[in-house]
Amino acid sequence: MERRVLPQISHHARRGTARTSLPWRKVALGAAIALAAVAAAPLSAQAAAPAACTALQDKYPDWKGKTLVNAINPHTPGYETIDPKDPSKYIGFDIDLGEAIGECLGFKLTYKPVTFAALLTTLAAGQADIVISDIYATKERAKAADFITYSKVFDGVLVAKGNPKGINGINMSMCGAAAAENTGYVEVPLIQALVPECKKAGKAEPTIQLYDNNANCIQAILAGRADTYVNDVNTVDSAVKAYPDKLEKAIAVTIPYSVGIAVPKDKPKFRDAVLAALIEVQKAGTHMELLKKHGLDVNNFKEPDILTAD
Amino acid sequence: MSLFLHYLSMPYLLGGIELTLEVTALGLGGGLILGLILAGMQLSRFWLLAAIARAYTVIFRGTPLILQMVFAYDALPHIGIKLPAVLAAGLALACNEAPFIAEMLRAGVLGVDRGQVTAGQALGMTPRILMWRVIAPQAIRTMIPAFGNEAVSALKNSSLASVVAVQELTLRSTQLASSTFDFFSIFFASGLLYLVLTFAISVIQLFVEWLLDLDRAKDRTKRRQRKLADYLPWRRVDLTTKLELAEATVADPEPVQAEPPDTPPLALTREERTRRAATIARNNIAVETKDLTKSYGAQKVLGGLDLTVRVGEVVALLGPSGSGKSTLLRCINHLESWDAGTVRVGGRRLGFDDDGKLLSPRAIANERATVGVGMVFQQFNLFAHLSAKENIAGPLRWVHGMTRIDADRRATELLERVGLTHRADALPRHLSGGQQQRVAIARALAPNPSVLLLDEPTSALDPELVNEVLEVIRRLAIDDGLTMIISTHQIRFADEVADRVAFLSGGAIIEEGPAHEVLTNPRNPLTARFLSVMEADKTPEAVR
Repeated sequence: MERRVLPQISHHARRGTARTSLPWRKVALGAAIALAAVAAAPLSAQAAAPAACTALQDKYPDWKGKTLVNAINPHTPGYETIDPKDPSKYIGFDIDLGEAIGECLGFKLTYKPVTFAALLTTLAAGQADIVISDIYATKERAKAADFITYSKVFDGVLVAKGNPKGINGINMSMCGAAAAENTGYVEVPLIQALVPECKKAGKAEPTIQLYDNNANCIQAILAGRADTYVNDVNTVDSAVKAYPDKLEKAIAVTIPYSVGIAVPKDKPKFRDAVLAALIEVQKAGTHMELLKKHGLDVNNFKEPDILTAD
Repeated sequence: MSLFLHYLSMPYLLGGIELTLEVTALGLGGGLILGLILAGMQLSRFWLLAAIARAYTVIFRGTPLILQMVFAYDALPHIGIKLPAVLAAGLALACNEAPFIAEMLRAGVLGVDRGQVTAGQALGMTPRILMWRVIAPQAIRTMIPAFGNEAVSALKNSSLASVVAVQELTLRSTQLASSTFDFFSIFFASGLLYLVLTFAISVIQLFVEWLLDLDRAKDRTKRRQRKLADYLPWRRVDLTTKLELAEATVADPEPVQAEPPDTPPLALTREERTRRAATIARNNIAVETKDLTKSYGAQKVLGGLDLTVRVGEVVALLGPSGSGKSTLLRCINHLESWDAGTVRVGGRRLGFDDDGKLLSPRAIANERATVGVGMVFQQFNLFAHLSAKENIAGPLRWVHGMTRIDADRRATELLERVGLTHRADALPRHLSGGQQQRVAIARALAPNPSVLLLDEPTSALDPELVNEVLEVIRRLAIDDGLTMIISTHQIRFADEVADRVAFLSGGAIIEEGPAHEVLTNPRNPLTARFLSVMEADKTPEAVR
């Protein structure tokens, strides 16, 4: 049902660019072609996968040959954005990692772009099967989904060129500053926690402006509305790269979280399958290759773990 | 600038337009269907339906669309309804548009002149025919600008579908902005694309307004070339700004030869009157009311009124305003209900079944058409969107199932009889009051009614127009022998035309008898006082 929703994301459906008919009809066709392609070429696909993956496909046959929906917030350059050269495609580390896992277990992925705050809601509503979108795995979020962690977190502090407010982390230097953040980001409660501390020190409180994507947060600093934006260091770096005359990275801070793949709570088997596949992908060296390919810090690499609410 | 043009022509963004239009179309189409249902429920005579519709309106008009989108997309799957994103967004938009469209529809329907609705009912139109032929065509014309507004707002609102992952224009723009950092070029480009779409809606709206412009047909017959300026938004067809059109519509002198030949005043001699009275006395009863009682709250309008009218008889109802004349007439063809008493037309209790149970509005309408009670109103109540001829021919086709050819022939015949063949294609608003009332009389006569009710037919007319209408009525009474009940203030006319006058006061007949006798020699002091006041009011020659 779902893979009929967003035809424009499925490469097969997109191949015919003249979209004249109703989309779902075309999508159904696209999905059929996709399934046919998968069914017709199982040998070659399996041949490409490591032997361990073949074993996994035998152990977890439920998703083999399927097309799953990956909900993403495609506003994070390096991790997941549309391809500026071919906007019908998504590119980034998370996209490639997800497809590598999919290849190992024998499923394909289509993408559903939602706001960051809607990632887990979309998963819980069954509108998506998996979320691989640079989302930090926290205990709080684990109430809504199970996580397979795969990456360490280094945050960067983005400020205007020259750092006029002298911000050097999520600390007292942020008192009185305006921070732009994405709705639902883990940085939000960390900054909120500064409010009583600043008060106690007799300083002005930090304020938070909530936006619904990365680009809007960056624009808030460019427009002089916000003083800082704390997010994944690679995201911060790419913003500085785009506006070298106007922005700079104040500092990188460590945040006590890991990045995780979110899967529905009621599908432990799927969670285990993804975990097993990720281990194989890491063993094959693919994970490391992808970090390098997308210009991300190899120190982000982390061996997978499961994070659940209990 | 080159970046802006690059994004403006980018197939990826242009592709988003398709989904934007899909969501908009689903929202507007679904909203229209839902809106029609809601408006129907709100206008319904069953209070429960109206209450449900009202509750729906309060909820869906009172909550933000963005929440409704998220609800349709993320909450419905939990109860097993998992719609594709485009459909979920379309559903939310439709549910959100519906109450707004319903209110527009309701305003349009209520905006149609009540008099025309009453006239349609009197002609025997069922509620469905009335809606379809009289109310909807006029309501739709007034609603088009509001619909244009609603379409533009739905198009812009469709951008909220971006929150539920529909890859429409806004979502594509934001994703593109995130991946390229070309924030402003992209948003200017998508803004311009939205502008093009909303402009297209405006053009469609103006075109539809032009198509439905009632004056357009007239212009065409006059071979008047429309100028491009007419299509521009600041130019509307309006008689106050278009002097030439106003002139063309107002000054349309009646050809003298088309007038009915001037007959000398038809006051019958005493001998003729006696003979006529004797004939009528032998005729069957056409209309009979017995102990008819009606109150509006504490106010008693009819207090046990008895009236018998025989076939071929002309009865004039006289009496001060508020004496119950109009109410009596409206009860006779059951345009109004009453509290007690009976009304029989041609021996039948119009509007009740054999057991005396009240019929549905539709069944009453059908009965009106079969029994044949025509009605002429003080305010003419012609159907404003139809030509004079169509006002007469239309009901014949819709109510009586006549073919177009037969109905047109009958309409032409009647227009000739009231001396208006030369105005057959004119719209009511381009006719004088007297001409309108003559068309209204022709319309009431068209189905050959057994009784014609005339409710102060000349009261809304300028004094110089009164005579042309009275002349038509006079000829109906004397030449055609039509049974008529006329409420009037024209004493002299009553004297000349009526066989009998009934004088009403406080909802009862306080005096009745042969017209000439009562009018020249009233017995009841109230009648005498009323007559003397009317005499004192009128100028020597004018009938009023």
